[in-house]
Amino acid sequence: MLRNPTSRALAVAGAVLLSLGATPQDTIVRPPKFDYTMTTLPNGLQVVFLEDHSTPIIHLSLWYHVGSKDEKAGRTGFAHLFEHLMFKGSKNVRADQHPSWITSIGGQANASTDEDATIFWQTVPAQYLPLVLWLEADRLGSLEVSEDKFLSEREVVKEERRMRVDNVPYGGLSEVIFDKAFTTHPYKHQTIGSMKDLESATIADVRGFYETYYVPNNATLTLVGDFDSKQALTLVQQYFGRIPQGKPVPRDIPKEPKPTAERRFTVEQPWPLPAVVVGYPIINDGHPDAYPLHILAKVLSDGQSSRIYRSMVYEKQLALAAFGDAKLIEHPNLFYAVAVIPQGRSTETALKELTAQVDAMKTAPITAEELNRAKRQFARDYILGRETIQQKALHLAHAVVIHNDITTADGEFDLFQKVTVEDVQRVARTYFTPESRFLITINPGPARTPAQGGGGDR
Amino acid sequence: MSLRIVVALLVVGAGASGMAQVRQWPTETPPRPLQAPRVNFPDYKLKTLPNGLQVLAVSQNEQPAVSFRLLIRAGAAQDTSAKPGVASFVAALLDQGTATRSAEVIANTIESAGGILAVGAANEVTFINGAIVKDQVALALDVASEVARRPAFAAAEIRRQMDQAIQGLQVSAEDPEYIANALIDRLVFGFHPYGRPGPNSVDAIQRITRDDLVAFHRNWFVPNNALLAIVGDLTHEEAFAAAEKAFGSWAKADVPVMTFDEPPPPTRRLVVVDRPGAVQTEVRVGQIAVSRTHKEYVPIDMALRILGGEGANRLFGVLRSDRGLTYGASANFRAYKFGGSFIAETDTRSETTGEVLRLTVDEFFRIQKEPVDSRELRGAQDYMSGNFPLAIETPSAIAMQVLNQLFFGLSLDELETYREEVTTVSVADIQRVARQFLFPDRLSIVLVGDASTFVGQLKAMGFDQFERIPIAQLDLSAPNLRKAGGDRRD
Repeated sequence: MLRNPTSRALAVAGAVLLSLGATPQDTIVRPPKFDYTMTTLPNGLQVVFLEDHSTPIIHLSLWYHVGSKDEKAGRTGFAHLFEHLMFKGSKNVRADQHPSWITSIGGQANASTDEDATIFWQTVPAQYLPLVLWLEADRLGSLEVSEDKFLSEREVVKEERRMRVDNVPYGGLSEVIFDKAFTTHPYKHQTIGSMKDLESATIADVRGFYETYYVPNNATLTLVGDFDSKQALTLVQQYFGRIPQGKPVPRDIPKEPKPTAERRFTVEQPWPLPAVVVGYPIINDGHPDAYPLHILAKVLSDGQSSRIYRSMVYEKQLALAAFGDAKLIEHPNLFYAVAVIPQGRSTETALKELTAQVDAMKTAPITAEELNRAKRQFARDYILGRETIQQKALHLAHAVVIHNDITTADGEFDLFQKVTVEDVQRVARTYFTPESRFLITINPGPARTPAQGGGGDR
Repeated sequence: MSLRIVVALLVVGAGASGMAQVRQWPTETPPRPLQAPRVNFPDYKLKTLPNGLQVLAVSQNEQPAVSFRLLIRAGAAQDTSAKPGVASFVAALLDQGTATRSAEVIANTIESAGGILAVGAANEVTFINGAIVKDQVALALDVASEVARRPAFAAAEIRRQMDQAIQGLQVSAEDPEYIANALIDRLVFGFHPYGRPGPNSVDAIQRITRDDLVAFHRNWFVPNNALLAIVGDLTHEEAFAAAEKAFGSWAKADVPVMTFDEPPPPTRRLVVVDRPGAVQTEVRVGQIAVSRTHKEYVPIDMALRILGGEGANRLFGVLRSDRGLTYGASANFRAYKFGGSFIAETDTRSETTGEVLRLTVDEFFRIQKEPVDSRELRGAQDYMSGNFPLAIETPSAIAMQVLNQLFFGLSLDELETYREEVTTVSVADIQRVARQFLFPDRLSIVLVGDASTFVGQLKAMGFDQFERIPIAQLDLSAPNLRKAGGDRRD
């Protein structure tokens, strides 16, 4: 806050000078900080509140720190199947009644599962705060799934797999990439799991999973919107406080060994056009190197001015579509870039060019203009990604569950703005080494038989 | 990957065996709601510039960003029947170079400023949408204005877009969801512009010339044929001033008048697109419907919601909750300016295709034959009225609702009165509109899947007549839906 006109003028002049320099980061508009509170109940449930009275609605999310990386061999897809079962009834709520209650009050409810966490959420008019807390507590406290509901829901999940993966061109792209890139860590398999493992899942597995992972000490409740924190805390204590703490949650997840030599794969998939992939193992989300890696990925592949789009799609037209991603999640994952190759173009040439674009990050620093653009893109995503109460809850819960540090929900903005061109080159040199590289060429082939559907086997 | 559960609606009692309760838990009933606040539609302001451009401003300063949306009242429906695809190429080329900025400069300018710009064409509109951090609004609107008014349509960029579209045909021709959607529209609307397939062959794409693009742009891209919304962290006055600065000099011009042929009468037709090896069948069941401005829109919309929309969804209950036959099922009322469609959509494993089709069609009959349960109706009504505060959370969501009313020429009062109007619909109204506007015996049906696994079931399920077309032979622009001259592939 500047009250003195002279110092204001100096600040403006300073900003102008900076904007002529290499990195005019001071001109970047800042989003407001989150004014949250955080509590932990005696049973271990972490509770985050953020009051936002702009619209009379509330968003409640419950994150369970369990995802597909916690799945054991032979049970891939189980974390996600279990997410479905959480809608199949508890002591005071019949099967499918939870979502039907939410819609009848004009609300929205859904759930999702990824490698690291399972998220249940609802957005409802503000007066229904007691109902949503009660519903979430009822299924955490007293899930009861009948055998016929279990079997029927398993079929639904198998349909989901067919719909997302097996029956769509390129639906199995991630499955191919991660299966080849990983040897040991469960990131090798996709969250949806294999058909074979889904078939093998039993009602007995449900109970074990529930007792191990669906305990208050493995859950984070985030409430954002138009509510009174004191009243909400009383309700949370009333409904969730009575659920006993569970045993410590096992975290015995095998580590991925460091690759020792470049790996090349050629596979066939029943897709219309070939695709090529180049990738490297990287570090986890929250690690200091994650921020320059994120910037690096933006320079390579965010938007029409990114290097991969300009080179592969626009200028050389070696690819119909091309993109890259630094998958920064809880455990070390991958940076990878993909190109879909039009007819008449060589996959070999495209793979060479794609690799050259990625590896160029090592040989020369990115330009100041590229860095500035990436930071501005980041600021844009950061600001536009905090518009709704659902988005706000997502950032808060992510900071608590994945970073184990709620301050990162705000603090990351500065970490990103501090990244330098040297940082970006350094992380490229650290992670994009010849011995850790993997290259995949996917050629069009005949349709798989349903029995082969999968590839997530471990 | 994020895997989602769709909301389930019908309730079925739990079976006897299963997972026993493992924790002590009391028996209780759900708590009562707190005091409900009164909610009004948020403030917005409208202004028409001297050149006829209608501008909407919504001010909300929660995040330091501004979004904008320019809608041109012309899309695929304004294509001529000889040259489908002109509207989509015009849209795709808007940001690929203007009189003063190359494609590269446009992308770099917007992205370096912390913005995002998207262009596209739908049935009756072309849009230029954007969002930007608040200190760069003037720059972003300047780019948007130039993109809307002075696209270069450079030969090299046209070539590049066409090459990409031609390559893309190969992917979409094998995408069962794309095929099912395009084919059901084609069956329901015939060759009416709403059902006309886009440029779906190399020939059709290559027939389009630069002159076609320039003419389409000249005819329709005028300020008196456009709507602009500027929303977010700026005042109404700032929004209008920014609109005036960027678009005020855009010259007004006459807009052509177009008349459309009537869509064909509803006709029973079942088309099986054979995709050998498919593990799942895409199912679409549809028919022609009324326009958005029809006076019975509200009860018709409610009937479709009970059949397959949020707040009720019989199809979801029957196909997913009761039988585990699918992941998702819905019925949608797509209402345009001059007509609309009712389309039910789902997918299922190959071996249950016949069963799913029968169950889906039966629901079209049932909503006509039997009065809906008053609880089902109330569920749909409660959803529609209760959802109101959720639908006004962001300035963009508020703007979309206002733009919709303006686009269709509907009263802005409805933004406030809609909630009450919904609650006046009765069980008898639902049955009356279902009988008047649904034609369960004359539905268009599309099945895209491995025909060998399910055509044998169709007769027993009451579908004895169908056309079977190998996927490689499908031609949406041919009356018989087949490519001329055998097994040629584009």
